[in-house]
Formats: sequence, C-alpha cells, structure tokens
Amino acid sequence: MTRLAGTRVLGALVQILVVTLLAFLLFYVIARFTGASPAQRIAGKTATPEQIALVAKNLGLDQPYWKQYLIFLGNLLHGNLGFSYVQQRPVSQIVWPAMRATASLVLGAALIWLAIAIPVGAYGGLRPRSFGDVAGRTLAILGMSIPVFWLAPVIAYLLGYQPTQGKLFGLPILPVGTKLFPIGGYVDFGTDPVQWAYHLILPCITLAIGFAAVYIRFIRTLTAEQLGEDYTRTAKAKGASTQRVLVRHVGRNVTPSVTVLLGADIATALTGVFFVETVFAIPGIGYTGLSAIENLDYPVITAVIIVAAVIAVVANTVVDIAHMGLDPRIRHVPDA
Amino acid sequence: MTIDNRVELGAGQPAGSRPAGLRVTALRRLRRDPASVFAACLLLLLVLAALIGAPLAAKLTGHSPTEQVPNALYPDGQPIGVMSRTLNAAGTAEDPHGSLFILGADQLGRDQFVRVLYGARISLLVATSATALALVIGVSLGLLAGWRGGWVDAVVSRMTETAMAFPNVLLGVGLAVVIGPGLLNVVIIIALFTWYYPARIVRSATVSTTKMTFVAAARALGARPRRLLTVHLLPQVWGPLLVYATSIIAANILFEAGLSYLGVGVPPPTPSWGGMLSDAVTSGMYQTDIALALVPGLALVFTMLAFNLLGDGIRDALDPRRGR
Repeated sequence: MTRLAGTRVLGALVQILVVTLLAFLLFYVIARFTGASPAQRIAGKTATPEQIALVAKNLGLDQPYWKQYLIFLGNLLHGNLGFSYVQQRPVSQIVWPAMRATASLVLGAALIWLAIAIPVGAYGGLRPRSFGDVAGRTLAILGMSIPVFWLAPVIAYLLGYQPTQGKLFGLPILPVGTKLFPIGGYVDFGTDPVQWAYHLILPCITLAIGFAAVYIRFIRTLTAEQLGEDYTRTAKAKGASTQRVLVRHVGRNVTPSVTVLLGADIATALTGVFFVETVFAIPGIGYTGLSAIENLDYPVITAVIIVAAVIAVVANTVVDIAHMGLDPRIRHVPDA
Repeated sequence: MTIDNRVELGAGQPAGSRPAGLRVTALRRLRRDPASVFAACLLLLLVLAALIGAPLAAKLTGHSPTEQVPNALYPDGQPIGVMSRTLNAAGTAEDPHGSLFILGADQLGRDQFVRVLYGARISLLVATSATALALVIGVSLGLLAGWRGGWVDAVVSRMTETAMAFPNVLLGVGLAVVIGPGLLNVVIIIALFTWYYPARIVRSATVSTTKMTFVAAARALGARPRRLLTVHLLPQVWGPLLVYATSIIAANILFEAGLSYLGVGVPPPTPSWGGMLSDAVTSGMYQTDIALALVPGLALVFTMLAFNLLGDGIRDALDPRRGR
C-alpha cells in the first residue's frame, strides 16, 4: 500500500513536471513563433522597448531554451508566479486570493451534485424502468446537454435578476425589488459565513447541474451492476433490508469508483468555473483567468493554467490514494 | 492502477461477438427506439438548417449573418425583439414595411435568426472535423500501441494517461490564447485535446482481439499485418468508436462554443453559438432581452441533446448482451 502510494505520488510529480514543461513550451517556445515575442507579451501592450529588454533579461529569455525552462521551474518552485505588468503586482498576489473563492465554489458544487446524484442514481439502479428512474434519467440526459455557460446566465436571470423586477419565472407574483438571491458578487467566509453561503448558492447549483447529470447515470449503472451480483442476493436471502443492502453492501462497492470519478471531475470543474465565475462575478481563478485573456495579461494566464493543472494532478493523486484505502482489491494487487 | 469507468463502452469485450447479425440487429433496435429516432430527426433537421436553411433565410430576410442593420436598434441601443420589423426613420416604432427579424436582432443590429442558422454550420463543421482528426490520431496511435506492444505501447499509454489527467479545455484555452483565434486553429486545438479517448478504446480492443483465435488463424493462413489490421482488427472496434464519436461530437460542439464564448475560438464577425452567447452575456444585455441568450443557448441544448440521445441509443443497440 505504502509502496503503491509512493509510486503514485512519484507519477504525480512527473505529471506536474510535464505540466510545467507544456506550459513553458506553450508560452515561451510556441509563443515565439506566433506573433509577439514572449518578452513583449509578458511586458504587456504598453511596454517600451527598454522595459521589454529588461523583462527578457530578468527571465533569461536570451538564454537557450533548457536554461529558460530551469529558470521558469526554479521560479515556480519558489512560489514565484511572475509579475503582472498589466496589474502592476506579483501574480501570486492575484492568484492565491482567487483560489479561495474558487475552492469554495467547486467544493460546494461537488457537495450539491453528490447530494442530488446519490439518491437519484441509487433509486434508478434499485428500481429500473420505474417512474422515478425514467424521470431521473430524462433529467440526467437533459442536464448533460445544457452547457454551463448558458445555464449560468439563465439561472442568474430567472432567480437573480427577474425577482428584482417582481417576477418569478416570468410570473408577476413577487413585490418589485425582491432579492431572492444575489445576482453576483462574493463575500469571503472569514468576513461573513452566512453571506458567503448566500452568495454561493446559485453559482454552486449552476456548476453542479451538469455533473449531477453525469453522476446520476454513473451511480445508476454501478448500483444496478452490483445489485445483480451474487453477494447482494445472498445478503437479501439472509434477510438484510433493502436499505442495509444498499448502504452496507452496494454502497461499499460503489464508493471507490465514485471517489475516483470525483478526483477527475474536480479538474473538469476548474474549467466550468471560467464560465460560472464570470456570470456571477465571483473573483476566483476563472474570473481572473478570463479577464487576463481579455487584457492579454500573459503572466496571469500562464499562472492560472499551471495552478489549475497542478490542482487537477493533485486531486487525481489524492483520490487515487484514497481509492487504495477504500478498495482492498487494489491494495493487494502487486502491480495493477 | 486508476480505474476509469467513465467510458462505459465495453471496450474490453469486442462488440462483434455475433459479427454476422449485429449491424443489422443494431439498426433494427435503433429504428424501434423512439428516443433515437427523435434524435436522428433532430440532427437531420439541424444539418438541413445549416446547409440549406442558412442561405435560404439570408435570402428571404435579406440580411446576411454579419450585416449590421442600424434600424434594428432603438435609439437607446436596445435591439428589436422577436418577430419585430425594423424601425421607422425616427427610430421610435416598427415600420410596417420594414424587414422582419424573426428572432430579433443582437446588440449590433444583426439578424439573430440568420446568425443562429449560420452558427449551426460553424458548430457542425468544427465539431465533425475536429472529431475526425481526433479519430485519425487516436485510432492510429491506439492500433499501433495495441498491435506493437512493448515500448510503443508504454509510450502511448503514458501519453494518454498524462493527457487525461489535465483539465483539457483549460490547456486548450491556453493554446488558443497563444496561437490566436481562427477556424483551423480551433479544429486543431480540439483534436489535440480529444485524441486520447479513441486511442484508449482502440488500444484495449486491439490488445484483446489480437489474442483471439481468429486472428491467430488469419496469421497462420499468411495474412500480412496490414490485412490483419484492416480486415480483422478494425471491424472489432467500430462499434465502441461509433458510440464514442457520437458523444464526442457533442462534447466538441460544446468545446468550440466554450472557446468562442471565451473569445479565443472562431473570431467575430463569423457567427458561432458560443460567440453569440458571449455577446449577450458579457454585454449584460441578456437581462433586458433574454431572447439574446435563449436563441443560441437552446440551439446548443437541442443539438447536444440529439447527439447524447443518439449516442445512448447506439450504445444500447450495440450491446451484445441484450436480447433481440
């Protein structure tokens, strides 16, 4: 187990190296052949030739590529994500505070999608072709087909903006000026936990719906599969209640797979935040990243992508190790 | 060591356990499945709308997809709504003889109906060509890895694992920022970030099929590697690939729309659904005229729904465990 976990962590470190190498290739090597030089891009649109030369010198952009990469990697290792010439401050001062908001959003969304998908999926697996199953599957395929960048403005409009006009789903049943949910904005947990949660409800639901759909289908398939196994029949024959079979037997076998999927989807959710955060004006890394794209703020774009990719790798690793803890079958196989 | 159950395609068991009848059976099952028939009709309609409907609508309304009609905006900049005509010279009311905007105008006075139809062209063009490119890369690498084994397999497998560990849309956005927006660039970016799913499917199908006796028999009869690959191995993977291709086209339509929404996809003024949505949302104008967000959004939703339903239908129809 420890050795397996060790191998996994080593693999993750290699992946992180690959991420940084890819980012370096992208922003320093490929960038050189497509328009402006990396130094020009980093220094920003308004930079003078002297400033550009200074940036090139500081980042060693006149050196061979392998040396540039080592400098780049060394800076990252020291937590130095570069300097944003557009915003005139270090990138780490921009990215780390943004991570707090994004972490709240993604974790809140994960809780919501699990809370929706586990009961609906398990019920569908337990009673296939029942009304609840068909309804669940219909909603799931619909949820899978709704892009998050469309859902976000629609939810903001229906539950955030329209109530202030005295309407709920287009019906004039509310007093004008009702504030059901905030249309946007973010309050830090440390400032006011209640306002923090209140501002996160709509964005979290928005981000969660697409994932809930995928998880309903996934959990339904897994549950149905496990219920067809001999061990569940044995458990039932021995008089275990449906609830006990579902929770103790099926749940125990489904959890590891769901955990692994969750790790992969934390990474996918980091893409979703780009769309959700901009609509709900949450100052997370998606919002930061998108405004950096608009302002061509290359150091911030680079940092956001590296940080997100590293988080994705870390999430996958943590989940894989948790998987080893949860699934004895993996623990005891010497090399799967 | 990572168990990924997400691709429920049954890649481990070759789809052709009854090679003679499966294709016919699958088609019959598909025809009997109302959801699949609905999805196929929807897709046919979409293709027709894109190919014929778009130029036809442009001709009938007299608006090109990029034409900005000043009379389609009120003096305060608010575009005219659904089923309205262009305004009179004073810009205060609809001119009864003005040209009709079936789905209203956008914030630049362009015809939303014509734009959404032309947007279908972009969506389908980008998604299908990116999927085709991804399949070519993925199938070649997967066949190579599964067939050759050894270090080739190791390299390809590590590459797919690494690629799958990353938030691919995010890296795609990064690449798009660097190489710039453009139709061809978008196709290449999407293909670069989706090839590994078919590679995995084809690799595992190839590995399991290569061990089967009929391949050994064909080899004993003197079949050359090329014949073995094309005649004996490829037909075993077409089923899972077909399911994959349908669902990945949906994902790629979303990918393109997402890139265009973020402003790094198909460059304006070319109409794309993602770009239209972005125009409505980033300008904040969707709050006063929700149709601006509904039109491209619903087009996306129905397209995705059709591909997802069809993908499900094909998967069920190809399931060899299912009775006839």
